[in-house]
Amino acid sequence: MLKIVALTCALLLVATPTFGAGKSIKAGVVADVSGGAAVYGVSQKNAYLLAMDDMKAGIINTGGSTLTFDVGDNATDPNQAANLFQRFTTDGSVIVLGPTLSAEAFKAQPIAVRANIPVLATSNTAPGITRQGPCVFRDALSEEQVVPATVAKTYAAWKYKTAAIIYGDDNAFTKTDFNVFSDEMKKRGVNIVDVETYHTKDVDFQAQLTKIKAAKPDVLVLGALFDEATKIISQAGTLGLHVHMVGGNGLNSTKMVDAAGQGAVGAVVGAAWFIDNSYSGNKAFVARYKKAFGSLPDQFAAQSYAAAQVVAQLVRSGASTPSAMCDGLRNMKISQTVLGPIAFDGNRDVRSAPVILKIVPGGFAYF
Amino acid sequence: MLLTQQLANGIFLGATYALFAIGYALVFGVLDILNLAHAAIFMLAAFVCLSVVLAGYPLAVGMLVAILVAGLAGIVLDRVAFAPLRRRNAGTLVPLISSIGFAIIVEAIARGIYGVNDHQFPSLVRQASPIVLGPVTFTFFDVAILGASIVLMIALAYVMRSTKLGREIRAVADDRMAAALLGIDIERTIALTFFIASALGGAAGVLAGLQYNSVVFDMGGRIELKGLAVIILGGMGSITGAVIGGFILGITETLAVAFISSSWRDAIAFGVMFVILIARPAGILGRRALRTA
Repeated sequence: MLKIVALTCALLLVATPTFGAGKSIKAGVVADVSGGAAVYGVSQKNAYLLAMDDMKAGIINTGGSTLTFDVGDNATDPNQAANLFQRFTTDGSVIVLGPTLSAEAFKAQPIAVRANIPVLATSNTAPGITRQGPCVFRDALSEEQVVPATVAKTYAAWKYKTAAIIYGDDNAFTKTDFNVFSDEMKKRGVNIVDVETYHTKDVDFQAQLTKIKAAKPDVLVLGALFDEATKIISQAGTLGLHVHMVGGNGLNSTKMVDAAGQGAVGAVVGAAWFIDNSYSGNKAFVARYKKAFGSLPDQFAAQSYAAAQVVAQLVRSGASTPSAMCDGLRNMKISQTVLGPIAFDGNRDVRSAPVILKIVPGGFAYF
Repeated sequence: MLLTQQLANGIFLGATYALFAIGYALVFGVLDILNLAHAAIFMLAAFVCLSVVLAGYPLAVGMLVAILVAGLAGIVLDRVAFAPLRRRNAGTLVPLISSIGFAIIVEAIARGIYGVNDHQFPSLVRQASPIVLGPVTFTFFDVAILGASIVLMIALAYVMRSTKLGREIRAVADDRMAAALLGIDIERTIALTFFIASALGGAAGVLAGLQYNSVVFDMGGRIELKGLAVIILGGMGSITGAVIGGFILGITETLAVAFISSSWRDAIAFGVMFVILIARPAGILGRRALRTA
């Protein structure tokens, strides 16, 4: 009799896909919902809100467990990001997602590492993010993964011989853009005719752009986040600096044309996601996002939604503690997400292919 | 082409600093205190103008309302942060802290209402083509801010030298007790000084917001240190000195980018200021220029 009961229980456990069902699991999210990077952070917050709705509706399967994303706003402030990470390492969160910017990640993620809470970065693209700890993962393609593909494709299309670079010299992300872009271009024999710098929150770029214009580059590389990138593009147009523009993830917002004007049209950016990709669930995700928030999602929304899909997959497979989440991420074979099928390599970086896009009025198109 | 355009860039940038610094210098010249709430009023005016424009009114209406609100905010600033301390002879340091407190409150209110994000004027308002004049390219707003700083400096100099109000302000600046004995209403004169200074700061805020198409709660912080440096360089309390200092700083910054390195922009600009101040510790036009204007 006992054997029959034990066998029945074992069969039930094996048969059910909802091992650990019924649990209430919380994930902390740190995003720049306000501040200079709010244009990215609001997209991220929206994606998590949509993911929670989709879990309730059964579109994302959590195997019967309740998965909640607690979104904290770090207001584009690394110190505030650190404060939120501190909170999420002590309030029962099994994983922390974010923060939005790499500079914030370098300040905040070590807190989760010390507390043995896994981190899934969704938009940090600077080198070294995952090297901060054995359980720091990211589903964002790093600039080191995206920029070489961007340079390869733009070089093939434009055959440029000279380039100028302007970048923020007080920000990890923008400095990475400078390093990777200049290295990749030099490999192809492109002559970097001018390098200019600025500081975060600068508004006047006319002196730098005048110098760049005098250097007559074929291409202008923007190592810049949204606020500075829009002003640089706008002021370049005023000064009559009309050259090909190419940038990193900082240009990756559908609001670029609204803020920078028509000068942003045609600028090229490497990305981890494209709105029209045909991966499973992507079109439905785009439609639901637009219905819920009245605007189309961007890459930041897609990466966050994909992170929610990954965490839901781990919860469905039974992970309900920080260590189980970390093991789950480390051993995850493949996850079908709106970014496409993704997995993590030995360095805990996502394995997926970048897409190269150009800015068009109202959004992006394949370049 | 490079030098001409860079000099123009420097002049336009310097005009922003100068316009901001005129009001700073006026209050210092009269009261011997640094009004660190000037940057908050600069920001407040930009938001007022933006709000009026977004409500559907023409830009000119927005600018007038913003400048008026800034002037009135200056009177409120004086009544709240300076007048009570003046009555108690609180010295110069306490009003300085008081003005910082006022600035923090105004910024917190702006942050509460508008958030911390960068706001832009509607594209229709900014739909002006670049102006190309020979080797120099600029915008309408560049010229507006340059023109405003020159016209306002001349107008202010006229008011100070040739009007009853100007004579009263100078008398108060020179010796408050003697001015009172002559029948000048000290508090009214100081309030009017704050109105003028803050209206000028407000005009600077509106034009800077338009020039860079960026209105954000901490925009005053970007210019505050530069403005302070400009009035020290020009000679504390000197209106003309503030304008000269503004142009020197703007042009130095721009030429530093053009001929040395953009990474050294601020360091070189402030280095040049150190050298000037070593040669003329009281600033280019000395300390008491307002009182002898």
